[in-house]
Amino acid sequence: MKRTFPWPIAFDALALLLWGLMILRYWWTGRLAVLLHPDYHWLAIGAGWLLLLMALWRGAALLWSPKSLNTPHIALLPRRWSLAVLLAVAVFGIIYIPRPFTSDTALARGIAEPVALTRSQPRRFARNTPPEERSLIDWIRLLNVYPEPDAYTDEPVNITGFVIHPPNWPDDYLLAARFVLTCCAADAYPVGLPVQLSGDRGEFAPDSWVNITGTMMTDTVDGQRRLVIQPQDVLPVPEPKNPYEF
Amino acid sequence: MLSLFALAGAMSQFNQGLTLFLSLLVEATPFLLLGVAFSSLLAILVDERKLVALTPKNPVLAAIAGSLFGCLFPVCECGNVPVARRLLMQGAPSALAIGFLLAAPTVNPIVFWATWVAFRDQPSMVFWRVGLTILISVIIACVFSVQKDLRPFLQPAIARQLLPPEPEPALATATSDSPLLTRGTYLLQSTGPVKLDQPLAMDMAVLPSATWTVKAQAVLEMMLQEFRELGAVLVMGSAIAATVQVAIPREWILALGQGPITSILAMMLLAWVVSICSTVDSFFALSFASIFTSGSILAFLVFGPMIDLKNISLLLTTFKSRAVIYLFVLAAQLTFVFTLAVNLYTSW
Repeated sequence: MKRTFPWPIAFDALALLLWGLMILRYWWTGRLAVLLHPDYHWLAIGAGWLLLLMALWRGAALLWSPKSLNTPHIALLPRRWSLAVLLAVAVFGIIYIPRPFTSDTALARGIAEPVALTRSQPRRFARNTPPEERSLIDWIRLLNVYPEPDAYTDEPVNITGFVIHPPNWPDDYLLAARFVLTCCAADAYPVGLPVQLSGDRGEFAPDSWVNITGTMMTDTVDGQRRLVIQPQDVLPVPEPKNPYEF
Repeated sequence: MLSLFALAGAMSQFNQGLTLFLSLLVEATPFLLLGVAFSSLLAILVDERKLVALTPKNPVLAAIAGSLFGCLFPVCECGNVPVARRLLMQGAPSALAIGFLLAAPTVNPIVFWATWVAFRDQPSMVFWRVGLTILISVIIACVFSVQKDLRPFLQPAIARQLLPPEPEPALATATSDSPLLTRGTYLLQSTGPVKLDQPLAMDMAVLPSATWTVKAQAVLEMMLQEFRELGAVLVMGSAIAATVQVAIPREWILALGQGPITSILAMMLLAWVVSICSTVDSFFALSFASIFTSGSILAFLVFGPMIDLKNISLLLTTFKSRAVIYLFVLAAQLTFVFTLAVNLYTSW
Protein backbone atom coordinates (compact mmCIF):
# COMPACT_ATOMS: atom_id res chain seq x y z
CA MET A 1 0.00 0.00 0.00
CA LYS A 2 1.39 3.38 -0.94
CA ARG A 3 1.45 5.89 1.84
CA THR A 4 1.66 9.60 1.22
CA PHE A 5 4.20 11.43 3.29
CA PRO A 6 2.49 12.86 6.40
CA TRP A 7 3.45 16.49 5.97
CA PRO A 8 1.30 17.84 8.82
CA ILE A 9 3.06 15.57 11.29
CA ALA A 10 6.47 16.53 9.92
CA PHE A 11 5.68 20.23 10.26
CA ASP A 12 4.44 19.73 13.83
CA ALA A 13 7.67 17.98 14.74
CA LEU A 14 9.73 20.66 13.02
CA ALA A 15 7.91 23.50 14.81
CA LEU A 16 8.37 21.85 18.22
CA LEU A 17 12.02 21.11 17.47
CA LEU A 18 12.79 24.67 16.39
CA TRP A 19 11.00 26.22 19.38
CA GLY A 20 12.94 24.00 21.74
CA LEU A 21 16.20 24.80 19.98
CA MET A 22 15.45 28.52 20.01
CA ILE A 23 15.09 28.56 23.79
CA LEU A 24 18.01 26.22 24.42
CA ARG A 25 20.23 28.22 22.09
CA TYR A 26 19.68 31.34 24.20
CA TRP A 27 20.79 29.30 27.16
CA TRP A 28 23.86 27.82 25.45
CA THR A 29 25.00 31.19 24.13
CA GLY A 30 24.33 32.96 27.44
CA ARG A 31 21.73 35.27 25.89
CA LEU A 32 19.01 34.04 28.23
CA ALA A 33 20.32 36.58 30.73
CA VAL A 34 19.35 39.36 28.33
CA LEU A 35 15.76 38.15 28.29
CA LEU A 36 14.98 36.77 31.75
CA HIS A 37 15.69 37.19 35.43
CA PRO A 38 18.15 34.42 36.46
CA ASP A 39 15.59 32.99 38.91
CA TYR A 40 13.47 31.85 35.97
CA HIS A 41 16.14 30.49 33.65
CA TRP A 42 15.42 26.94 34.79
CA LEU A 43 11.78 27.28 33.74
CA ALA A 44 12.68 28.33 30.23
CA ILE A 45 15.39 25.66 29.94
CA GLY A 46 12.94 23.01 31.15
CA ALA A 47 10.41 24.16 28.58
CA GLY A 48 13.09 23.94 25.88
CA TRP A 49 13.88 20.32 26.74
CA LEU A 50 10.20 19.46 26.97
CA LEU A 51 9.62 20.87 23.50
CA LEU A 52 12.50 18.77 22.16
CA LEU A 53 10.98 15.65 23.75
CA MET A 54 7.61 16.46 22.23
CA ALA A 55 9.33 16.92 18.87
CA LEU A 56 10.88 13.46 19.24
CA TRP A 57 7.50 11.97 20.07
CA ARG A 58 5.88 13.68 17.12
CA GLY A 59 8.75 12.71 14.87
CA ALA A 60 8.37 9.08 15.92
CA ALA A 61 4.86 9.15 14.47
CA LEU A 62 6.50 9.65 11.06
CA LEU A 63 8.03 6.19 11.29
CA TRP A 64 5.09 4.27 12.61
CA SER A 65 1.59 5.57 13.10
CA PRO A 66 0.39 4.71 16.59
CA LYS A 67 -3.17 3.98 17.48
CA SER A 68 -4.71 7.20 18.72
CA LEU A 69 -8.04 8.48 19.88
CA ASN A 70 -9.80 11.25 18.10
CA THR A 71 -9.27 13.99 20.65
CA PRO A 72 -11.88 16.71 20.40
CA HIS A 73 -10.48 20.13 19.87
CA ILE A 74 -12.03 23.34 18.75
CA ALA A 75 -9.63 25.19 16.54
CA LEU A 76 -9.99 28.92 16.24
CA LEU A 77 -7.18 29.50 13.83
CA PRO A 78 -6.69 27.28 10.84
CA ARG A 79 -3.99 24.78 11.71
CA ARG A 80 -1.74 25.94 8.87
CA TRP A 81 -1.79 29.51 10.08
CA SER A 82 -0.78 28.68 13.61
CA LEU A 83 1.92 26.36 12.35
CA ALA A 84 3.22 29.00 9.98
CA VAL A 85 3.35 31.59 12.78
CA LEU A 86 5.16 29.22 15.13
CA LEU A 87 7.66 28.13 12.50
CA ALA A 88 8.38 31.67 11.35
CA VAL A 89 9.01 32.91 14.88
CA ALA A 90 11.22 29.94 15.74
CA VAL A 91 13.37 30.38 12.64
CA PHE A 92 13.69 34.07 13.35
CA GLY A 93 14.44 33.46 17.03
CA ILE A 94 17.21 31.04 16.14
CA ILE A 95 18.88 33.52 13.81
CA TYR A 96 18.43 36.72 15.78
CA ILE A 97 20.66 37.58 18.71
CA PRO A 98 18.74 39.55 21.33
CA ARG A 99 20.52 42.63 22.56
CA PRO A 100 20.17 44.33 25.92
CA PHE A 101 18.35 47.63 26.03
CA THR A 102 20.35 50.71 25.16
CA SER A 103 20.65 54.33 26.22
CA ASP A 104 17.92 55.36 23.74
CA THR A 105 15.48 53.11 25.54
CA ALA A 106 16.57 54.43 28.91
CA LEU A 107 16.10 58.04 27.75
CA ALA A 108 12.73 57.21 26.24
CA ARG A 109 11.70 55.77 29.57
CA GLY A 110 12.54 59.01 31.33
CA ILE A 111 15.74 58.04 33.12
CA ALA A 112 17.11 61.60 33.18
CA GLU A 113 14.33 62.79 35.50
CA PRO A 114 15.34 62.28 39.12
CA VAL A 115 11.74 61.61 40.19
CA ALA A 116 11.66 58.44 38.15
CA LEU A 117 13.74 56.43 40.55
CA THR A 118 12.23 53.01 41.04
CA ARG A 119 8.80 51.64 41.58
CA SER A 120 9.81 48.56 43.48
CA GLN A 121 10.09 48.37 47.21
CA PRO A 122 13.65 47.81 48.37
CA ARG A 123 14.08 44.14 48.99
CA ARG A 124 17.29 44.55 50.86
CA PHE A 125 18.34 47.60 52.70
CA ALA A 126 21.79 48.61 51.62
CA ARG A 127 22.59 51.10 54.36
CA ASN A 128 24.51 48.39 56.17
CA THR A 129 26.68 47.59 53.16
CA PRO A 130 29.89 49.60 53.03
CA PRO A 131 29.41 52.38 50.43
CA GLU A 132 32.18 51.15 48.13
CA GLU A 133 30.45 47.77 47.83
CA ARG A 134 27.04 49.15 46.87
CA SER A 135 25.92 48.48 43.33
CA LEU A 136 24.15 51.09 41.26
CA ILE A 137 20.73 49.73 42.20
CA ASP A 138 21.74 49.68 45.89
CA TRP A 139 22.47 53.39 45.67
CA ILE A 140 19.15 54.08 43.97
CA ARG A 141 17.21 52.10 46.56
CA LEU A 142 19.00 53.98 49.30
CA LEU A 143 18.10 57.28 47.65
CA ASN A 144 14.50 56.11 47.46
CA VAL A 145 14.38 55.63 51.18
CA TYR A 146 16.42 58.67 52.09
CA PRO A 147 16.63 61.10 49.17
CA GLU A 148 18.75 63.91 50.64
CA PRO A 149 21.96 63.93 48.56
CA ASP A 150 24.02 65.71 51.25
CA ALA A 151 23.71 62.61 53.44
CA TYR A 152 26.11 60.76 51.18
CA THR A 153 28.76 63.44 50.60
CA ASP A 154 32.32 62.07 50.38
CA GLU A 155 31.22 58.44 50.58
CA PRO A 156 33.34 56.24 48.32
CA VAL A 157 31.62 54.75 45.29
CA ASN A 158 32.50 51.93 42.89
CA ILE A 159 29.91 51.01 40.30
CA THR A 160 29.62 49.59 36.80
CA GLY A 161 27.09 50.76 34.24
CA PHE A 162 26.60 51.84 30.67
CA VAL A 163 27.00 55.39 29.42
CA ILE A 164 24.09 57.66 28.59
CA HIS A 165 24.44 61.20 27.24
CA PRO A 166 21.26 62.99 28.33
CA PRO A 167 20.69 65.66 25.66
CA ASN A 168 19.97 68.57 28.05
CA TRP A 169 22.98 68.02 30.27
CA PRO A 170 26.28 69.91 29.98
CA ASP A 171 29.08 68.20 28.05
CA ASP A 172 31.05 67.19 31.13
CA TYR A 173 28.17 65.17 32.57
CA LEU A 174 27.14 61.67 31.73
CA LEU A 175 24.76 59.20 33.30
CA ALA A 176 25.99 55.77 34.41
CA ALA A 177 22.99 53.51 34.09
CA ARG A 178 21.69 49.99 34.33
CA PHE A 179 18.39 48.29 33.71
CA VAL A 180 16.68 46.60 36.63
CA LEU A 181 14.69 43.43 36.12
CA THR A 182 12.15 41.69 38.33
CA CYS A 183 10.89 39.06 35.92
CA CYS A 184 11.84 39.49 32.29
CA ALA A 185 12.92 42.21 29.90
CA ALA A 186 9.30 43.31 29.63
CA ASP A 187 9.47 44.95 33.03
CA ALA A 188 13.00 46.33 32.77
CA TYR A 189 13.33 49.88 33.98
CA PRO A 190 16.44 52.04 33.92
CA VAL A 191 18.20 53.58 36.90
CA GLY A 192 21.27 55.79 36.82
CA LEU A 193 23.55 58.23 38.63
CA PRO A 194 25.07 61.39 37.12
CA VAL A 195 28.85 61.51 36.78
CA GLN A 196 30.76 64.78 36.56
CA LEU A 197 33.76 64.26 34.31
CA SER A 198 36.89 66.37 34.26
CA GLY A 199 36.88 66.35 30.45
CA ASP A 200 34.33 65.99 27.69
CA ARG A 201 31.87 63.08 27.75
CA GLY A 202 32.59 62.40 24.09
CA GLU A 203 35.48 60.28 25.32
CA PHE A 204 32.93 57.68 26.46
CA ALA A 205 30.53 56.63 23.73
CA PRO A 206 26.88 56.08 24.62
CA ASP A 207 26.12 52.43 25.47
CA SER A 208 29.75 51.63 26.23
CA TRP A 209 30.32 50.07 29.64
CA VAL A 210 32.41 51.76 32.31
CA ASN A 211 33.57 51.09 35.83
CA ILE A 212 33.58 54.25 37.93
CA THR A 213 35.39 54.77 41.21
CA GLY A 214 35.23 58.04 43.09
CA THR A 215 33.32 59.87 45.77
CA MET A 216 29.81 61.23 46.10
CA MET A 217 28.92 64.90 46.10
CA THR A 218 25.85 67.09 45.60
CA ASP A 219 25.49 69.17 42.47
CA THR A 220 22.83 70.87 40.39
CA VAL A 221 22.24 69.12 37.07
CA ASP A 222 19.67 70.43 34.62
CA GLY A 223 18.13 72.57 37.37
CA GLN A 224 17.83 69.71 39.88
CA ARG A 225 19.83 69.17 43.06
CA ARG A 226 21.15 65.64 42.79
CA LEU A 227 23.60 63.13 44.10
CA VAL A 228 26.52 63.12 41.66
CA ILE A 229 29.62 60.94 41.36
CA GLN A 230 32.94 62.73 41.24
CA PRO A 231 35.16 60.11 39.66
CA GLN A 232 38.81 59.41 40.27
CA ASP A 233 38.82 56.77 37.58
CA VAL A 234 36.51 55.95 34.71
CA LEU A 235 37.64 52.68 33.10
CA PRO A 236 36.09 51.16 30.00
CA VAL A 237 35.03 47.56 30.74
CA PRO A 238 33.45 44.84 28.58
CA GLU A 239 29.69 44.34 28.76
CA PRO A 240 28.98 42.18 31.81
CA LYS A 241 27.63 38.70 31.24
CA ASN A 242 24.42 39.76 32.87
CA PRO A 243 23.71 43.34 31.81
CA TYR A 244 20.84 43.81 34.25
CA GLU A 245 20.73 44.29 38.01
CA PHE A 246 18.16 42.94 40.40
CA MET B 1 23.65 62.79 8.56
CA LEU B 2 20.30 63.47 10.16
CA SER B 3 18.76 60.53 8.37
CA LEU B 4 21.62 58.34 9.60
CA PHE B 5 20.74 59.30 13.17
CA ALA B 6 17.10 58.65 12.48
CA LEU B 7 18.01 55.25 11.06
CA ALA B 8 20.17 54.41 14.07
CA GLY B 9 17.33 55.44 16.37
CA ALA B 10 14.85 53.34 14.46
CA MET B 11 17.22 50.35 14.54
CA SER B 12 17.69 50.68 18.27
CA GLN B 13 13.92 50.87 18.76
CA PHE B 14 13.50 47.86 16.53
CA ASN B 15 16.05 45.89 18.52
CA GLN B 16 14.37 46.93 21.74
CA GLY B 17 11.03 45.73 20.41
CA LEU B 18 12.52 42.39 19.40
CA THR B 19 14.19 41.86 22.76
CA LEU B 20 10.88 42.61 24.46
CA PHE B 21 9.03 40.27 22.14
CA LEU B 22 11.44 37.38 22.64
CA SER B 23 11.62 37.89 26.36
CA LEU B 24 7.83 37.69 26.62
CA LEU B 25 7.82 34.53 24.52
CA VAL B 26 10.60 32.78 26.40
CA GLU B 27 9.14 33.67 29.81
CA ALA B 28 5.61 32.65 28.85
CA THR B 29 6.34 29.39 27.01
CA PRO B 30 6.92 27.26 30.14
CA PHE B 31 3.64 28.42 31.64
CA LEU B 32 1.78 27.83 28.41
CA LEU B 33 3.19 24.29 28.24
CA LEU B 34 2.21 23.64 31.85
CA GLY B 35 -1.27 24.97 31.19
CA VAL B 36 -1.87 22.81 28.14
CA ALA B 37 -0.35 19.78 29.87
CA PHE B 38 -2.68 20.09 32.84
CA SER B 39 -5.77 20.79 30.83
CA SER B 40 -5.08 17.83 28.54
CA LEU B 41 -4.40 15.50 31.46
CA LEU B 42 -7.59 16.51 33.22
CA ALA B 43 -9.70 16.25 30.11
CA ILE B 44 -8.64 12.63 29.97
CA LEU B 45 -8.76 11.77 33.65
CA VAL B 46 -11.64 13.71 35.23
CA ASP B 47 -15.23 12.92 34.48
CA GLU B 48 -17.23 16.02 35.31
CA ARG B 49 -20.50 14.10 35.70
CA LYS B 50 -19.33 12.96 39.11
CA LEU B 51 -18.70 16.55 40.13
CA VAL B 52 -22.13 17.67 38.96
CA ALA B 53 -23.70 15.07 41.18
CA LEU B 54 -21.89 16.49 44.19
CA THR B 55 -22.71 20.17 43.73
CA PRO B 56 -25.09 22.03 46.05
CA LYS B 57 -28.47 23.13 44.74
CA ASN B 58 -28.47 26.57 46.39
CA PRO B 59 -27.60 29.03 43.59
CA VAL B 60 -25.07 31.05 45.60
CA LEU B 61 -23.27 27.96 46.82
CA ALA B 62 -23.40 26.46 43.35
CA ALA B 63 -21.94 29.66 41.93
CA ILE B 64 -19.10 29.57 44.43
CA ALA B 65 -18.52 25.88 43.76
CA GLY B 66 -18.50 26.54 40.02
CA SER B 67 -15.98 29.34 40.29
CA LEU B 68 -13.68 27.15 42.39
CA PHE B 69 -13.94 24.24 39.94
CA GLY B 70 -11.14 25.90 38.05
CA CYS B 71 -8.70 24.45 40.54
CA LEU B 72 -9.71 21.01 39.30
CA PHE B 73 -9.83 21.96 35.63
CA PRO B 74 -6.91 24.27 35.05
CA VAL B 75 -7.99 25.20 31.58
CA CYS B 76 -7.61 28.52 29.94
CA GLU B 77 -10.45 30.28 28.25
CA CYS B 78 -10.40 28.05 25.20
CA GLY B 79 -10.85 24.90 27.22
CA ASN B 80 -13.49 26.13 29.59
CA VAL B 81 -16.34 26.73 27.14
CA PRO B 82 -16.61 23.07 26.14
CA VAL B 83 -16.41 22.04 29.80
CA ALA B 84 -19.08 24.56 30.85
CA ARG B 85 -21.20 23.32 28.02
CA ARG B 86 -20.85 19.72 29.10
CA LEU B 87 -21.72 20.77 32.65
CA LEU B 88 -24.95 22.33 31.37
CA MET B 89 -25.78 19.27 29.28
CA GLN B 90 -25.35 17.06 32.30
CA GLY B 91 -27.95 18.99 34.22
CA ALA B 92 -25.69 21.19 36.32
CA PRO B 93 -27.43 24.26 37.79
CA SER B 94 -26.89 27.31 35.60
CA ALA B 95 -25.12 29.10 38.46
CA LEU B 96 -22.51 26.36 38.53
CA ALA B 97 -21.89 26.42 34.80
CA ILE B 98 -21.73 30.22 34.55
CA GLY B 99 -19.52 30.50 37.63
CA PHE B 100 -17.18 27.97 36.11
CA LEU B 101 -17.25 29.60 32.70
CA LEU B 102 -16.12 32.96 34.04
CA ALA B 103 -13.75 31.99 36.83
CA ALA B 104 -12.04 28.80 35.67
CA PRO B 105 -9.43 30.44 33.43
CA THR B 106 -8.14 32.54 36.34
CA VAL B 107 -8.83 30.47 39.46
CA ASN B 108 -6.29 27.76 38.90
CA PRO B 109 -2.87 26.93 40.30
CA ILE B 110 -0.88 27.62 37.14
CA VAL B 111 -2.33 31.09 36.76
CA PHE B 112 -1.60 31.80 40.45
CA TRP B 113 2.00 30.85 39.91
CA ALA B 114 2.45 32.75 36.66
CA THR B 115 0.91 35.89 38.15
CA TRP B 116 3.10 35.58 41.20
CA VAL B 117 6.23 35.19 39.07
CA ALA B 118 5.32 38.21 36.98
CA PHE B 119 4.33 40.46 39.87
CA ARG B 120 6.89 39.42 42.41
CA ASP B 121 7.18 43.02 43.51
CA GLN B 122 3.44 43.30 44.05
CA PRO B 123 2.34 39.94 45.46
CA SER B 124 -1.03 41.41 46.36
CA MET B 125 -1.82 41.42 42.63
CA VAL B 126 -2.34 37.65 42.81
CA PHE B 127 -4.89 37.90 45.62
CA TRP B 128 -6.71 40.85 44.11
CA ARG B 129 -6.90 39.07 40.79
CA VAL B 130 -8.28 35.81 42.15
CA GLY B 131 -10.55 37.45 44.72
CA LEU B 132 -12.09 39.87 42.27
CA THR B 133 -12.56 37.17 39.64
CA ILE B 134 -14.42 34.95 42.09
CA LEU B 135 -16.54 37.87 43.30
CA ILE B 136 -17.55 38.94 39.79
CA SER B 137 -18.18 35.36 38.64
CA VAL B 138 -20.38 34.62 41.63
CA ILE B 139 -22.38 37.81 41.12
CA ILE B 140 -22.99 37.09 37.43
CA ALA B 141 -23.74 33.43 38.14
CA CYS B 142 -26.35 34.48 40.71
CA VAL B 143 -27.89 36.89 38.22
CA PHE B 144 -28.18 34.10 35.68
CA SER B 145 -29.55 31.66 38.24
CA VAL B 146 -32.66 33.85 38.55
CA GLN B 147 -33.52 32.54 35.10
CA LYS B 148 -34.51 29.05 36.20
CA ASP B 149 -34.89 27.77 32.69
CA LEU B 150 -31.74 28.60 30.75
CA ARG B 151 -33.04 27.21 27.47
CA PRO B 152 -34.03 30.55 25.91
CA PHE B 153 -30.41 31.66 26.35
CA LEU B 154 -28.89 28.63 24.71
CA GLN B 155 -28.41 27.75 21.09
CA PRO B 156 -31.47 25.77 19.91
CA ALA B 157 -29.51 22.58 19.39
CA ILE B 158 -28.42 22.53 23.01
CA ALA B 159 -31.74 23.75 24.38
CA ARG B 160 -33.45 20.81 22.67
CA GLN B 161 -31.07 18.44 24.36
CA LEU B 162 -31.93 19.86 27.73
CA LEU B 163 -35.62 19.08 27.27
CA PRO B 164 -35.69 15.48 28.43
CA PRO B 165 -35.23 15.60 32.18
CA GLU B 166 -33.53 12.23 32.38
CA PRO B 167 -29.76 12.13 31.87
CA GLU B 168 -28.34 11.21 28.51
CA PRO B 169 -28.01 7.51 27.76
CA ALA B 170 -24.29 7.90 27.96
CA LEU B 171 -22.90 4.67 26.65
CA ALA B 172 -25.19 4.53 23.69
CA THR B 173 -23.76 7.72 22.21
CA ALA B 174 -20.23 6.84 23.07
CA THR B 175 -20.17 3.44 21.52
CA SER B 176 -22.26 4.05 18.43
CA ASP B 177 -19.89 3.86 15.54
CA SER B 178 -21.80 5.74 12.89
CA PRO B 179 -21.12 9.46 13.21
CA LEU B 180 -24.32 10.15 11.27
CA LEU B 181 -26.59 8.56 13.80
CA THR B 182 -25.27 10.00 17.05
CA ARG B 183 -27.10 12.76 18.80
CA GLY B 184 -25.33 15.92 19.89
CA THR B 185 -23.71 19.05 18.63
CA TYR B 186 -20.74 19.01 16.39
CA LEU B 187 -18.36 21.66 15.29
CA LEU B 188 -17.13 21.03 11.82
CA GLN B 189 -13.37 21.03 11.73
CA SER B 190 -10.84 20.22 9.09
CA THR B 191 -9.95 17.13 11.09
CA GLY B 192 -13.55 15.92 11.05
CA PRO B 193 -16.56 16.74 13.20
CA VAL B 194 -15.85 17.36 16.86
CA LYS B 195 -18.49 16.40 19.32
CA LEU B 196 -18.74 19.17 21.85
CA ASP B 197 -20.64 17.82 24.77
CA GLN B 198 -19.09 14.53 25.59
CA PRO B 199 -16.44 14.22 28.29
CA LEU B 200 -13.32 12.67 26.90
CA ALA B 201 -12.92 10.74 30.12
CA MET B 202 -16.12 8.96 29.19
CA ASP B 203 -14.62 7.85 25.90
CA MET B 204 -11.69 6.53 27.81
CA ALA B 205 -13.81 4.62 30.26
CA VAL B 206 -15.78 3.05 27.46
CA LEU B 207 -12.92 2.05 25.26
CA PRO B 208 -11.59 -1.25 26.50
CA SER B 209 -8.36 -0.67 24.64
CA ALA B 210 -7.66 2.61 26.42
CA THR B 211 -4.37 1.50 27.87
CA TRP B 212 -1.86 3.87 29.40
CA THR B 213 0.02 4.25 26.16
CA VAL B 214 -3.14 5.21 24.31
CA LYS B 215 -4.05 7.66 27.05
CA ALA B 216 -0.59 9.17 27.03
CA GLN B 217 -0.80 9.42 23.28
CA ALA B 218 -4.12 11.25 23.58
CA VAL B 219 -2.73 13.65 26.21
CA LEU B 220 0.26 14.47 24.01
CA GLU B 221 -1.99 14.90 21.01
CA MET B 222 -4.18 17.40 22.87
CA MET B 223 -1.15 19.22 24.28
CA LEU B 224 0.20 19.63 20.80
CA GLN B 225 -3.10 20.87 19.41
CA GLU B 226 -3.48 23.44 22.17
CA PHE B 227 0.16 24.48 22.07
CA ARG B 228 0.01 25.01 18.34
CA GLU B 229 -2.98 27.25 18.59
CA LEU B 230 -2.34 29.09 21.85
CA GLY B 231 1.31 29.46 20.92
CA ALA B 232 0.28 31.31 17.80
CA VAL B 233 -2.02 33.56 19.83
CA LEU B 234 0.83 34.13 22.30
CA VAL B 235 3.15 35.14 19.47
CA MET B 236 0.64 37.68 18.21
CA GLY B 237 -0.07 38.99 21.70
CA SER B 238 3.63 39.41 22.43
CA ALA B 239 4.11 41.19 19.13
CA ILE B 240 1.30 43.61 19.98
CA ALA B 241 2.69 44.25 23.47
CA ALA B 242 6.18 44.91 22.11
CA THR B 243 4.89 47.17 19.35
CA VAL B 244 2.75 49.23 21.71
CA GLN B 245 5.74 49.65 24.02
CA VAL B 246 8.11 50.75 21.32
CA ALA B 247 6.08 52.46 18.64
CA ILE B 248 3.53 54.54 20.53
CA PRO B 249 4.97 57.79 21.91
CA ARG B 250 5.58 57.57 25.62
CA GLU B 251 3.64 60.77 26.35
CA TRP B 252 0.45 59.25 24.93
CA ILE B 253 0.78 56.09 26.94
CA LEU B 254 1.61 58.09 30.06
CA ALA B 255 -1.42 60.33 29.57
CA LEU B 256 -3.66 57.32 29.06
CA GLY B 257 -2.10 55.15 31.74
CA GLN B 258 -2.17 57.61 34.60
CA GLY B 259 -5.85 58.54 34.48
CA PRO B 260 -7.85 56.37 36.87
CA ILE B 261 -10.68 55.91 34.34
CA THR B 262 -8.90 56.06 30.99
CA SER B 263 -6.28 53.56 32.12
CA ILE B 264 -8.93 50.99 33.06
CA LEU B 265 -10.84 51.45 29.82
CA ALA B 266 -7.65 51.19 27.78
CA MET B 267 -6.49 48.01 29.49
CA MET B 268 -9.92 46.39 29.22
CA LEU B 269 -10.05 47.15 25.52
CA LEU B 270 -6.54 45.76 25.15
CA ALA B 271 -7.51 42.60 27.06
CA TRP B 272 -10.49 42.12 24.82
CA VAL B 273 -8.55 42.57 21.58
CA VAL B 274 -5.34 40.75 22.45
CA SER B 275 -7.15 37.61 23.70
CA ILE B 276 -3.97 36.24 25.23
CA CYS B 277 -4.20 32.99 27.18
CA SER B 278 -4.75 33.40 30.92
CA THR B 279 -1.68 31.40 31.89
CA VAL B 280 0.56 33.95 30.22
CA ASP B 281 -1.40 37.19 30.27
CA SER B 282 0.32 38.39 33.44
CA PHE B 283 3.59 38.70 31.53
CA PHE B 284 1.85 40.76 28.91
CA ALA B 285 0.36 43.00 31.61
CA LEU B 286 3.73 43.27 33.30
CA SER B 287 5.13 45.26 30.41
CA PHE B 288 2.53 47.94 31.16
CA ALA B 289 2.75 47.78 34.94
CA SER B 290 5.22 50.61 35.37
CA ILE B 291 3.08 53.11 33.50
CA PHE B 292 -0.52 52.06 34.02
CA THR B 293 -2.45 52.31 37.28
CA SER B 294 -2.61 49.14 39.39
CA GLY B 295 -6.41 49.09 39.03
CA SER B 296 -6.13 49.01 35.25
CA ILE B 297 -3.61 46.16 35.31
CA LEU B 298 -6.04 44.33 37.57
CA ALA B 299 -8.88 45.06 35.13
CA PHE B 300 -6.80 43.51 32.36
CA LEU B 301 -6.08 40.40 34.40
CA VAL B 302 -9.67 39.95 35.55
CA PHE B 303 -11.61 40.86 32.43
CA GLY B 304 -9.38 39.31 29.75
CA PRO B 305 -9.82 35.68 30.78
CA MET B 306 -13.60 36.08 31.15
CA ILE B 307 -14.50 37.42 27.75
CA ASP B 308 -12.35 38.35 24.82
CA LEU B 309 -12.46 38.48 21.08
CA LYS B 310 -11.15 34.95 20.81
CA ASN B 311 -13.64 33.22 23.06
CA ILE B 312 -16.75 35.07 21.88
CA SER B 313 -16.86 32.75 18.89
CA LEU B 314 -16.63 29.83 21.29
CA LEU B 315 -19.35 31.20 23.56
CA LEU B 316 -21.61 31.53 20.54
CA THR B 317 -21.40 27.79 19.99
CA THR B 318 -23.29 27.40 23.26
CA PHE B 319 -25.16 30.58 24.05
CA LYS B 320 -27.41 32.77 21.95
CA SER B 321 -25.94 36.14 21.12
CA ARG B 322 -28.32 37.83 23.59
CA ALA B 323 -26.85 35.82 26.46
CA VAL B 324 -23.30 36.48 25.30
CA ILE B 325 -24.07 40.20 25.28
CA TYR B 326 -25.46 39.98 28.83
CA LEU B 327 -22.36 38.13 29.97
CA PHE B 328 -20.09 40.61 28.26
CA VAL B 329 -21.86 43.72 29.56
CA LEU B 330 -22.15 42.42 33.12
CA ALA B 331 -18.52 41.30 33.25
CA ALA B 332 -17.29 44.57 31.75
CA GLN B 333 -19.35 46.76 34.05
CA LEU B 334 -18.47 44.88 37.22
CA THR B 335 -14.77 44.79 36.34
CA PHE B 336 -14.84 48.50 35.62
CA VAL B 337 -16.65 49.44 38.82
CA PHE B 338 -14.51 47.28 41.11
CA THR B 339 -11.18 48.22 39.61
CA LEU B 340 -12.14 51.89 39.60
CA ALA B 341 -12.85 51.52 43.32
CA VAL B 342 -9.39 49.97 43.68
CA ASN B 343 -7.86 52.93 41.88
CA LEU B 344 -9.77 55.55 43.83
CA TYR B 345 -10.06 54.13 47.32
CA THR B 346 -6.92 52.09 47.85
CA SER B 347 -3.40 53.38 47.83
CA TRP B 348 -2.24 50.13 46.30
